[in-house]
Amino acid sequence: MKCLVRFITRGAGGAVEHADKVIDTDSLTIGRATDQTLHVRDRRARLQHARIESRDGGHAIVTGALAGVTVNGRSQREATLAPGDEIEVGANLLRVIEPPAGIDFALSFELADDAGEHHLAPAWSAPVRTLAGFGKRRLSWLAAGVVVLLAFAIPALTLLGPGVAKTLRSVPLLPDDSVWLAGDVHRTHASVATECEACHARPFRRVPDAACGACHESHRHAAGSAPPVLGEMRCASCHLEHNEPPQLISEHQGLCGDCHADGPAGTDLPPASDFLDDHPPFRVSLSVPVTTAGTTEWQTERRLLEQARDAERSNLRFDHALHVDEDGVIGPDGRQVLACQDCHRPEPGGARMQPVRMDEHCSGCHELSFDPQDPSRTVPHGDPEGVLQVLIEYYSARLLGDDATNGAQQRLRRPGQALTRADRDRVAAEARAQALTVAADLFERRACVNCHEVTKVQTDAAMPWRVQPVRLTERFFPHARFSHAAHDTDVASCDGCHAASQSGVATDLLLPGMDSCRDCHRQRHRAAQRRRPGRQHLHPVPRLPRPGQAVIPRRVGAAWSALTCARRGWQPYCCRCLRLAAAVPRPLHRALIRRRRRPVAPASARTHQPVSRWRMSRALLPGPRRKPPRAAARQRLPSSTGSATSWPCFA
Amino acid sequence: MKASILAYGGRRYLWLALLVTAGIAGIYLVHDPQEPPNGGTVLGYTLGAVATALVLWLTAFGIRKRRYHSTQGTVQGWLSAHVYLGLALPLIVLLHAGFQLGPNVHTLAFVLLLLVVASGIVGVWFYANYPARMSHNRGGANRTELLDQLDDIDERSRRAANSLGEDFRDAIASGIARTQLGGTAWSRLTGRDESQVVLPANGGSRVAANAGQEALLDWLADRQARSADAHEGAAIGELSALLRNKRRLLKTLAGDMQLEARLAIWLFAHVPLTAALLAALVVHIVTVFLYW
Repeated sequence: MKCLVRFITRGAGGAVEHADKVIDTDSLTIGRATDQTLHVRDRRARLQHARIESRDGGHAIVTGALAGVTVNGRSQREATLAPGDEIEVGANLLRVIEPPAGIDFALSFELADDAGEHHLAPAWSAPVRTLAGFGKRRLSWLAAGVVVLLAFAIPALTLLGPGVAKTLRSVPLLPDDSVWLAGDVHRTHASVATECEACHARPFRRVPDAACGACHESHRHAAGSAPPVLGEMRCASCHLEHNEPPQLISEHQGLCGDCHADGPAGTDLPPASDFLDDHPPFRVSLSVPVTTAGTTEWQTERRLLEQARDAERSNLRFDHALHVDEDGVIGPDGRQVLACQDCHRPEPGGARMQPVRMDEHCSGCHELSFDPQDPSRTVPHGDPEGVLQVLIEYYSARLLGDDATNGAQQRLRRPGQALTRADRDRVAAEARAQALTVAADLFERRACVNCHEVTKVQTDAAMPWRVQPVRLTERFFPHARFSHAAHDTDVASCDGCHAASQSGVATDLLLPGMDSCRDCHRQRHRAAQRRRPGRQHLHPVPRLPRPGQAVIPRRVGAAWSALTCARRGWQPYCCRCLRLAAAVPRPLHRALIRRRRRPVAPASARTHQPVSRWRMSRALLPGPRRKPPRAAARQRLPSSTGSATSWPCFA
Repeated sequence: MKASILAYGGRRYLWLALLVTAGIAGIYLVHDPQEPPNGGTVLGYTLGAVATALVLWLTAFGIRKRRYHSTQGTVQGWLSAHVYLGLALPLIVLLHAGFQLGPNVHTLAFVLLLLVVASGIVGVWFYANYPARMSHNRGGANRTELLDQLDDIDERSRRAANSLGEDFRDAIASGIARTQLGGTAWSRLTGRDESQVVLPANGGSRVAANAGQEALLDWLADRQARSADAHEGAAIGELSALLRNKRRLLKTLAGDMQLEARLAIWLFAHVPLTAALLAALVVHIVTVFLYW
């Protein structure tokens, strides 16, 4: 079957052009597929839309599709074709025309100019490639560029020199190298906090020890007394900055245990691998008198505390139990109840105790008067020869003085007559005898012997009494870092550690052993050791946001706080009643909160507030409330009303 | 989509991510450095290296998906791993930093990472839900069919208008020519119909907004009301019916366009944020060692 297909195109001016194509085939296939004889570029056409076959001398169009093919406006599965019939294939119109001579069948096919192209489609059928004129790639470069510029390029200008750095740091809004700070520096380094180059001397080099030595030249590490094991280690190997919380001295067990687990080589130090379970008992430094040829020198003796419980050698006689008796001790004004603090006063700062002094702490009761008729006259303290001298002078003056009422004088002297030499000698001997009598009373019975070791040397008639010199040990644990103030809590009373009420003699060494420390530190240390050894074990009282610091929404803040507590091994405590969550039974806790809701300052009034020690100890302890020691501390507490809190509460 | 990506290979990458996370978290809890946990401890450096490698590998997905001839795993598998390991990354980074965050470039990198992961989650959600919603919106037909139907309607309304006179022919032709969906990314995202029509007015012509073919339908209704010829009135009615069909079709197409645009748009956050993250990561690493 010879077919002629006439392709008709209409030009822009309406001119009609046609091109003929003769195809010799058994059946003329029409469709969108490329193997079709008549390939129609129209999406509405099927792949094999229809085919035209010669049938019984005529021609018929046949399709296998259910939808059929539209011939003369009617959809049919099969139709006989005659010239003038119109076949619709999508938007295309095929018209059967009279075949020229030599051709069996002819079709005209008008090509639609936009067959299969939807004018709507180009606007959006393609993927989104730009956003506001920016493609993804351009946006990516832009974003990366902004980050590099603000986070690196501008701050890096500080590396150009101190002048540029100073200028840059002073310009507000411009990022300087403080944006590179991984964490705050410790407050002791606050003076150089903004000058990175003070420590980071050269880019891409670790902080050299010289940078530390610039300020710390007199430090004992820098002075060459660093432990020899440090070897190649740098200052910053241990003293790490820019952590949160800022911490310059690590309290990690490993710092001790790494070297001390087996006892450091070349030393006689006992092994110490663990504070709780494997730590040698305390050694105590005692002042010990060594008497040679009548003079006493004091030497420091190191002894194991447990073996030196009665080894205090201060040469003092003192009964702690008597002095802190609940019923009081007999004083000049009758019975007087003494507390530890009456004699043991903390030093400024509270870490250690001031030395006990006779004139300050003892003389109130232990008067050194000797003449009941003249109680204001006292002998000097700390000078035995002086005591006798004072007494002799006192009685000599009484005997020789110009007092007419004095019977002894009248007996010695006649009016208008001067004392003879013999009289004077007699008077002096009498005064001395009286002084010796009183001195014996003072030294041996009434005064000195109460507190001091007094011996009598019969051969020395001039000054027969010897008082052993006294020295109170100033630091029993010279290497320990201990603060009484940090332990001034309700659980830890003086007597709890020092047991003064049980001690009757001054040779008792009233120092707590390691077990006393462990009693309190064991549990918390264990819990903390599991997570963060050496860290603070308790939540250090809610820290209010600093100016400029974002206030985290309540729920997020609570979750974050809880996370922080868990991370640091802090025991959670209630911010309202300031008690350990675990330590207070829940009903009691509710009652406490009802009694006193802890107010929180409004956001506008929140400023950074230093943690007061008082508040910290309150957080530690169950027990009755007590007044804060300082009015200032009370004023620091936020005072506005409102029960909202951004801290986790375990109510 | 949902089944093929998230449940790929029996969720093997989910288990891998969980295993990696649990392992790293376990090591973190056991690890006991002498300093507070931070990026400078042995574990900190290790986790930092792991996280950096992971970021680079996750970014490499953009390359892998374009390598059609690559034999290194299926893109499906890569995407599944991309999703699950990407979700594990923030925790790894937090452990790397020892939870020490602050207003600095290091935390900037972490925040950017969080944003990238968040945009990725949005993308996964889009891909899990929108294809079904698009199918539902199109009523089973594909978009080409809808466009074909639109063309059919246009052709038929053109023919119908031809028989009604010049006014109608011009109005319908301009309405067809000026039917406009999408164009800018914004109009695609909002699914706004920005069609216009030129209508005859007072001897001249005016351009009217033709969203939902409303202006054209109003004009036809007006002409129909003023038409004295019953035959012409019926023809205008048929034309109006065709345009109402077109309005329904345009609405469907606008919804389709909108959903498709959303499927594409999340990448405009995901990809540039990833670039910013890479930049911040480089800055982080450089500055950490710059002031060592």
